[in-house]
Order: sequence, then C-alpha cells, then structure tokens
Amino acid sequence: MNLPESIIRRDFIKQLGVASAAALATEGTSAWANEPVKHPEAKADSCILIWLAGGMAAPDTFDPKRYHPFEVGLDMNKILSTFPAIDTNVDGLKITKGLENVAQVMDRGTLIRSAFQPDLGSILHSRHQYHWHTGYVPPLTVAAPHVGAWMAKVLGPNNEIVPPFINIGQRLEGVGEKEELKAFTTGGFFGTEYGPMNLPYPEQAVQSVQPPKGMEPGRFSNRYHHFKKLIDQNPNREKMSDFQRESMVRSMESAHRLLQSKEKKAFDLTLEPKESYEAYDTGRFGRGCLLARRLVEEGARFIEVTTEYVPFLHWDTHKSGHTTVARMKKEIDRPIAQLIRDLDKTGKLDRTLVIIASEFSRDAMIEGKPGSNARDQSQARVNKLKEISHYGLHRHFTGGTSVAMFGGGVKKGFVYGKTADERPLMAIENPVSIEDLHATIFTAMGISPQTAYDVEKRPFFATKDGIGKPATGIFA
Amino acid sequence: MYTQATTIKAISLFLFLIPNFLCSKVDFAHEIMPILKKHCAECHASGKKKGGLDMNTRSAFLAGGENGKVAVPGKPTESYFLEAIQSEDSNEKMPPKGDGLSAGEIKKLIEWVTEGMPWDGGIRLGLSGWEPPLKPRIVKLPKAKKNRGHPIDRLLDDYLAKNKKPIPESLEDHAFVRRAYMDVVGLLPSPEQLNAFLTDKSSIKRKKLIEALLADDVAYADHWLTFWNDLLRNDYTGTGFITGGRKQITTWLYAALRGNKPYDEMTRELIDAGNDASGFINGIKWRGNVSAGQTVHMQFSQNVSQVFLGLNMKCASCHDSFIDRWTLEEAYNLASIYADKPLELTRCDKPTGKMSTAKWIFPELGEIDPKASKTERLKQLAVLMTHPENGRFTRTIVNRIWARLMGRGIVHPVDAMDTMPWNEDLLDYLAVRFAEDGYDLRKFIGFVISSHAYQSKSVFLSEEPGENYVYSGPVPKRMTAEQFMDSIWQVTGTNPAKIEAKVDRMHRDKSSVKPQSDLLPKPGKITAKWIWGPNPKTKKIKLRKKITLAVKPDLASFLGTCDNGFSLWINGKKVTSSKDWTKPVYQKTAYFFKKGENLIEVDAEMYGGSSGFVAQFIIGKDKMLVETDKSWEVAKGKEWNPATEVHPYGKGPWKRVLDQARESEAGTTPGAGPPIRAALVKNDFLMRSLGRPHRDQVVTSRPAELTTLQAIDLANGQILADYLYKGARALEAENKPTEERIDWLFRHALARLPSPTEKTILAEVASESAGNQEMEDLLWMVFMHPEFQIIR
Repeated sequence: MNLPESIIRRDFIKQLGVASAAALATEGTSAWANEPVKHPEAKADSCILIWLAGGMAAPDTFDPKRYHPFEVGLDMNKILSTFPAIDTNVDGLKITKGLENVAQVMDRGTLIRSAFQPDLGSILHSRHQYHWHTGYVPPLTVAAPHVGAWMAKVLGPNNEIVPPFINIGQRLEGVGEKEELKAFTTGGFFGTEYGPMNLPYPEQAVQSVQPPKGMEPGRFSNRYHHFKKLIDQNPNREKMSDFQRESMVRSMESAHRLLQSKEKKAFDLTLEPKESYEAYDTGRFGRGCLLARRLVEEGARFIEVTTEYVPFLHWDTHKSGHTTVARMKKEIDRPIAQLIRDLDKTGKLDRTLVIIASEFSRDAMIEGKPGSNARDQSQARVNKLKEISHYGLHRHFTGGTSVAMFGGGVKKGFVYGKTADERPLMAIENPVSIEDLHATIFTAMGISPQTAYDVEKRPFFATKDGIGKPATGIFA
Repeated sequence: MYTQATTIKAISLFLFLIPNFLCSKVDFAHEIMPILKKHCAECHASGKKKGGLDMNTRSAFLAGGENGKVAVPGKPTESYFLEAIQSEDSNEKMPPKGDGLSAGEIKKLIEWVTEGMPWDGGIRLGLSGWEPPLKPRIVKLPKAKKNRGHPIDRLLDDYLAKNKKPIPESLEDHAFVRRAYMDVVGLLPSPEQLNAFLTDKSSIKRKKLIEALLADDVAYADHWLTFWNDLLRNDYTGTGFITGGRKQITTWLYAALRGNKPYDEMTRELIDAGNDASGFINGIKWRGNVSAGQTVHMQFSQNVSQVFLGLNMKCASCHDSFIDRWTLEEAYNLASIYADKPLELTRCDKPTGKMSTAKWIFPELGEIDPKASKTERLKQLAVLMTHPENGRFTRTIVNRIWARLMGRGIVHPVDAMDTMPWNEDLLDYLAVRFAEDGYDLRKFIGFVISSHAYQSKSVFLSEEPGENYVYSGPVPKRMTAEQFMDSIWQVTGTNPAKIEAKVDRMHRDKSSVKPQSDLLPKPGKITAKWIWGPNPKTKKIKLRKKITLAVKPDLASFLGTCDNGFSLWINGKKVTSSKDWTKPVYQKTAYFFKKGENLIEVDAEMYGGSSGFVAQFIIGKDKMLVETDKSWEVAKGKEWNPATEVHPYGKGPWKRVLDQARESEAGTTPGAGPPIRAALVKNDFLMRSLGRPHRDQVVTSRPAELTTLQAIDLANGQILADYLYKGARALEAENKPTEERIDWLFRHALARLPSPTEKTILAEVASESAGNQEMEDLLWMVFMHPEFQIIR
C-alpha cells in the first residue's frame, strides 16, 4: 500500500469561510489539507455527460427484459419492458428497439447495468439529481460543487480560453423545481470561477461569446481597448493596484480573450457543414450533442448535455410511458451515435469520456425499491391495461439502472454488472453506488476519489467522505 | 523496555496483521482519533502532559515523554505505548484507571503504527491554548491622542503604535461621502448630494451626514436587508418552498430593520419565534429521508450557534468535532431544545442508542428545563442567548458589522469566533458598548463610522490577507451584487417596477394623524358602484360628494380604490392617494370630518384600459354609509353632473378587490415608496453571477473577486445591455454636451471629476455630441471600472 511520499507540514488553521473558499482554497489537491493525494493517471482529458433527465427507464432502453406488446386486458404485473430487444454490434449484447443507431456504437464502450441509488423515502427528482450531480444528498451544511466544477477545479481548463464547465440544454428559469436545479448546477463552495456556463439553447450558444446584440465586433473591441486605457490612466492607479483590482482586470481580460478568440467559433452551430448538422438535428438535444462535440474539439473540460428536466415531461413518464419513450429514443438515437462516431473518427474518443446516465430507472409496479415507503406517483394506477396511456413504466425505481460509458479508457464492447430478470429488477451483480460511479468517473479523468478541499475547516471530498471506489473492472 | 513475553506477543500480533496491512488503510480521523480521545486525552492533551508526554499533535507524540520516545512510526515493536496499553502490570498499564483498551482498539493502534502513524492535517487531540471568554469584559481605554478621543481611535492608535504602523491618512471628503452612502444605505450619492456636501462649510458636516443617512429608515432597511437575508438564510425563492418545507421571514425582518428594533429583541423573536419569524428556526425541510445530521433539529442547532455565536456546530452534528471543543452530545442537546421529543444521537450515520436532553451550551449562564414544553424551552433559550452576561453574543454581532464597515473582521472569518481576534480589547470594548447602547444596530453603525479609523484612507493590499494580518486601516470592499445593481439603476434610472419582497416601504407623512389603537374591522358588505364620467376614456376627472353630519364623528373609515389612480380630499385637506388599483386604501378619516356640511373631493385618473372609482365611507357610531353611486357628481367644465355608474361593486374586471383590504396608516399612500432596490427583488442570472448567493445555507461573506464567467456576463449579457441602453437614452434626452454628461457620470459613479488624461481617452469614445451607442459604451466603461466596483 502507498505511504504518502512526504507529509507536508502546514499550519492547519487555515480559516476558510464558505464564500471565500474560492479564493483561499488550499492549493494542491490534498486528501486532508496536508497530505498530497495521489491522483491516478488520467485516461481522458474531457468529459461529456449526456444527462437523460427525469428517470430514464432502463428496461425500455439499455436493459431489455421480457417483452409484452400492448394488449387490452394485459395484467400490469406482466410488464417488464414495453419494447422488444434488438442486437447490437457487440456479440450477445442486446438493447431495445428504437436505439438502432446507438446499437451500432456499443462496441466503443462499456454498459454498466448495475448502477443503483439510495432509498431517500419520498421521491423528488431534483433531490436525486442533486445527489447524482454532486455526490451528496441535500440538505447540506455547505454548497456542494457539481461534478463538472470538481473537474474544473482539480484539473483546470483544458484550453485556457474555453470555460471548463459548460451546461447545455437545461433552462434554469421558468421550469418546475428550478430552485433545486439551480442549487446543484453550481460551483458550490469553490465559487463561481468553477461554476457552469449555462447554454440552455444550443443554437443560441454563439450569443454567449459574442458582443451584445446589435454591437459590431469593431465597436466591441474598441470599447474594451479604451476601457483598458482608461483604467491604466486612473489618477489613483498606484494606490489602487491591489489584488482585488488585479483579479478584476485579469477576469475582464480572460472574458474578452474568449469573446475575440478563434475558439469561440465552436459555439456557432451555423458553421457546421449542413450534412453533419442534419445528422444531429433531431431537436434541441441533438443540437446540444453537436455543440458538445465542437466544444470538446476546442478544449472544453466538462460538458453536460441534457434532454432537459421538466416535471412530468420527457423521460419523467408517469403515464403514456411507452409512447413517450419511443419519442425520446428517436430524439437521442441518432445524435448520440453520431457524436460517438465523430469523436472516434477524429481520434478524440480515446481521450474523451462520454457518459449516458439518468437519476434512476423506472418500473411498471414498484415505487422506489422493495420495502421503500416512497409514495406511489404513477398516474396510470391500473391492474389491467385498458388504454395505451397505461402502457409503460410509470413508477420510479432506484434498485438498478444503466449507465453507458464510451471512450476515456473504458473497455470496448463490454457489459459490467447485471440486474435481475424478474421483478424486482435489482442490480444483482457488481452493484455500483453513486459514490462508486463518481469514483469511476473521477478516476478516468485523473482525479483521486479521495481528493478533498477545506471548507469551514473540514475536508469536503470528491466522493462522499472519500469512500467512493472505482469500478476498475470497466477500464481496459 | 520490553520483556520477552511482550516481544513475542508483539511480533505475533504483527505477523497476524500482515494480510490486513496489505489491504486496508487505517482511517486516522474516524478510527484512531476516537480511541486516543477516549483513553489518552484526559492526561496527555489540552495542556496536560502526564509523564511529560503530550499527545496533542503528531510531532508532540513522537517527541515522547520523560523516559524517551513512546512511538516510532512503522515500528510497532519499538513503540512502547503499544506495550503499555496491553500491559497487565498496574505500574505500567495505560490508561492507569478503568478497563483499558479493547482488543479491537489495540489492534487498530498497532495497524496505525505499522502504517507509519498517518495523522491527518492539523487535527489536535485537545484544544489549542486559547479559549475565547464567555462573559463581557470591561476594557480600560488607552490615553487619547490629540483630537482623537473616540474610543475606537484610542484603541486602534494604541494598537498601531505597538505594531509600529503609521496612523492612516484621513479620507478626503468625496471619498468619505461615497463610502458612507454605500455603507449605510447602499446607494451612490447623487451629484447634487455630493456637491451639497463638498460645499458645506460646517465643521460638523460629516456628523450631520451620518445622522441623515441613518435617519433614512427605508434606504437603510433596503440596504441592510441583504446582510440580514444572507445571515438568516432568508430568500424569496429557493429550495424547500416547493414542498412547503420553508418559510420567509421577510416582512418581519424588514419591519425590524426599518423600525430599528434592538438586536437582542430581534434575536429573542427569532428564537422563540412568534409566527412571523418562525421561518428561521424551522430550517429547510426536504421531502423524504434526511440524514440524521441534517434534520431540521440539527439545522436549528447549527444555525442558531453559527448566526448568534459565530460557532460551527456542523462538524459536531455527526461526530465530536476534530477541530474544536464541541461534541456530538452538545450539538444534539442544543437541537433538542427545538425538537418535539428527545433525539437519538447518531454518530457518522450510526445510531448510538443514547438519547439527547435539551441543554444549552453555556450552562454558566443558566439552564434550559428539559421538562418544559417546546415553547417554554425556546423562550428560555431566547433569554439565555441574549443574557447580559453572554459576551459571545455581542462580540459576534459587533464583529460582523465591523467586518461589513471596515472590510475585515476583528475575528476573521466572522464565523470562527473561537479563534483569537487581532485585538481583544477592541472586540471586547465594542461588545460592551453595544449592549450599553441598548443593542441598537444603527447607533452602533454610527459609532463605528464616526471614528477617525473608519474615516481613514483604505489600505493597499497586494494579496489577500492571511493569518499574519495586522490591521493598518480600512480594507477596500467589493460592491455586493445588490450594491452594484442599485448603483447602475440609480445612474441609468432603470429601477425595477415590481417588488418581490412583501415589505412596508410606505412614506410616512409627518403631518398625518396619529393612528388610533384599534384597527379597523375587516371590510363588510359593500353596495357601492364603480363610477366615472360619461366617457370611460376621459383621462382625468373630478368627483365630489356633499354630506351632512349631525355631529363630528369619533370614528370614520374610508375604503376605496381607483383604476388607475386617485387623490382624496375632505373639506379641502388631502387625505390620501393611490396609483395602484390592486392596492385599495383603507384608512381612518374621522379627523377630517366635522359637524354639518362636509365636502368630499376626488381627483381620479386613468392611464388606459378600464376606468372606475369605488369607495365606501362608514361614518360615526351609527355607521352611516356613504358609497359611490350616481348621487356623486362629476365635473364638466364649471358644472357638475351625476356620475356614471360603470359596474356595481363585485362586477367588472376588478372583481372584489376591496374585500381583503387591510388598514393602512392614516396619511400614507399605499403602494408608493422609493425606487425598488435589488435586495427587494428575486435573484436573477446577473446578480447570481455577481455573487448573490443561493441562501440554502447561512451566508456571512460575499466573494471578494470578479471571476471570468462574471466578466463574460458583464461584457455581453443582455440584462446589463438593456440597462445601458435605457440609461444612455435618458442621458441623451437631457440634451447636454458630452463633456457635461461625462462630468455628471463621473460625479455620480465615482464621486469625482475626470482627470484631463481620462477626458482625452473618453473623448475618443464619445464625440462632442455623442449618440446613444457612444453613451452606452461610456456607461459600460465606468461601471466596469475597478474604481466603481470597489469601495475604498
């Protein structure tokens, strides 16, 4: 076992307030303020999280079980999957009908079928999403950073000019549970330096890196040029040239550098060749995948692309599950496959970790997991099917779900773990908790799961209390 | 010294451990510390060194005791202390009393030594040397230097002399004005206000300005609401509201600030929580299972100790703290004051079987009766928290306010009140002074900013101050997000139109009647009609009604509203007015009536859409009803005609708007108030990126630096661009030459005129008769200027 190479002695009483931790956080990524932590060798330089928000039903997507087509009078208990299985380009691996394109890229990655979530009692999506994105269950004593913020903090930007943490496709105003969404879409106690650049509409992303509407580039650069002169010629310059001013000036410089850089072209989807654009363009999500690819090519560190969480919409099926999931698969199938193929073609896939995940799975009958006292939230509470709106997986299930990973050093064409074939479809082999899942992701990115930063004089770990253990079986 | 038996035992244990050694790493903080604390700390930590052995830190432990080293990392066979804990010899065994360590504990320690005795960070086995005092302390003030008799100056001049630092230069007038306005009311002085001050020849003008700013109760409350919303974890949106697990305290808080409620009273109300302030102690309740350390009871324990005492109970919510003296039991006992029934102590998510008892953490001041009801217990806690002998309570608040005004606390960070202040005398003096002055927050602010110390030039810091901080003058402060928005809105005239916070900012007309003690009853039956002139589109109409009263009434009420606005006179005296039909006026009006003939007059206005005025007077003890109907008259030129009835009350687009009316103070104008401030509206993307926090946790400081993402927002964000556009238009409308506009802008934003060099640069951006775009760019450059954003 590893003994620390050296124990750096530093006076521990480093007084850190929550909000000032961004400025004062311990340099170097210590396991515990003093000991330098040993980071694993990075297998990937960038990470794309494809977030299928709302609880994507694994039996209807990546983990097909016994199939029964829609039939009036069908006993609900008989429903495990509402789609038949199809072959993939990996021998013996089947996923569900509707994901034909993704089926042809499964040979580039690993499918984890045994991820699971804790029983939090009552199911509130955003609470599970918070847990998935930060590794901690709220309420908390400090503001937990998003997994993207961790990467931004520990690894820094991949390309100095491009913001390291970019969040695509999720509106944070005007949607249900938006306060809870905002609570975890954040740099947390790391500060806004490590927070996300939010781009809810991919086709408008370019506006975030352009001068304000109606301002030509010439005027924009002129304004900044004169601004710099003005602050340079400040009559009180000497007395004011302190750290606060300097950091302001530096940040303004970084901002303007991005807005005048060649990298900013990555944000402009109109620059993508027509044929390629159309391959992705199934809707906002598809365009988001395209944007993610372009940003990764320009050196973004972490990008999340989501089909967007809106209560009761999209993957959050409380009724009409089958028809809705059919539509959702149509929206994601081509763009995801295209993304993987494009990354592979340009040789970037090996050093990019692409993750497909959701906050939990679904089941036709069980809410939560067996023994949970979570309230049944199905809107199709029947024993026998009467109409198509009853046909689907309408209850939240936290006992086992699928997480797909491509690139980033994972095995190719591999299946890790499995769920039972009869209800309850629990993860029965190689179960992967949230902590372990994060440990796996961080390990791929070259971050030790025991990495910690001090906040309010205590260590705050990348995986909860540092207990996360990577599922090393998935790495090549 | 090792006996042979011990050696064999040690070796065999060591051999036994080899497989374990290879696969598990001992967790110092969770596995070793508890053992050492339980069995060794009593004699070998916190200043105690039995046998010369100090186990407070790793280095002390390794240094050994009277008889030499007792521990050698990596070598359990050479670590004498391991032998001692296994010994059966009464002279040798450790600890000398009690059952000693269990086999499991011994095994752990052997593992630990084998692994090289990893010792996390600066965890100390016992306390550090310094313990903050509980009781207030009277401080003897040092002698005053000439003309520097203010107690703060006496203390700080002495400190500076001892630390061989010069007394900072005095702040110039223009800088003082900007800082005082920003610190007291969170606004920029307008060019007129600036000029008035600069040209004032009075020798006490600074004193007068401070008094005037403190007397502006609405502006003061608008500004300090930010500080208190952060501290009391209060917001208009946020997690927890969606499931009914969170409640605001906004109305209560704003009223407390506006009315300058003493801080001890505020605290008692927050703790024993009448309905209005209960949102604070009730925490944020998420739906579903919550970890034991984060239930609303534990949140109570954490929030109450952090906010009022600057103590961190968060660590102790899960286990005995590793960094200070607070134990799991103490955190749970404090939580029990609030809980409905005793709680089971849960350590690191494992129930311990031990139950809590409601208990306060400073029993020297008094006790909570665990058998009393929850309401009673909270009342007792309120009294103990604000006990005159609770010096920690006063030190904590004066330190927070000092930090807000002077840029850095006397104790830093402000939630670490268990650490040494850089000047104990100053902190203790201020704490006592604050209590003596009746816990008066505004008075205290005035006290601080009337000192020379405050009115000094701020210091120059090349890097963020660290632990070796020595006070040498006020520290520059970055504007909060709210100050930044308020300032921009002031300059561009773009304050928001809609207020979110439910607060009373009504202007109190000094000449109005004193309100009587009984409130008006809830409105009853209303049979009035909405009336207007013959043409519903007439923008302005005059209405009147003559009535005769047998006696002067003791009680009379007016209830009414107008789409869109009205003013009411009775017998030639103005009674009230309103510009918002959704906010009916309901007031006492007896004062205005007399015996005999009375004339009621109304000026009514409509801005567009529908029109109508409706009112009901109830006069005298016979409750005479005077309601709007066609017996009222509307002016046409010099003539008066019967008013047109538009709708009976209850019908029409206004529904039953009068039914829920609440009484407003006589002479006030409901809905009116000064321009709406940032603290009173919801957080938005721009403010969030500028550091306005999410307030899921108590927040006590704002980020000091501008980040890149924020800078991007400021460079191209649409929200800011809109303000700049409107501001430029407003400036342009004034039709003044560019130079004059630039002067105005500099004076408003920076409290000075531009230098010749600055003028030259600005002239390159904005020509003599600058158009809109040029003005926008000028505004942007000034708002982005460090001199604008940093308050010196």
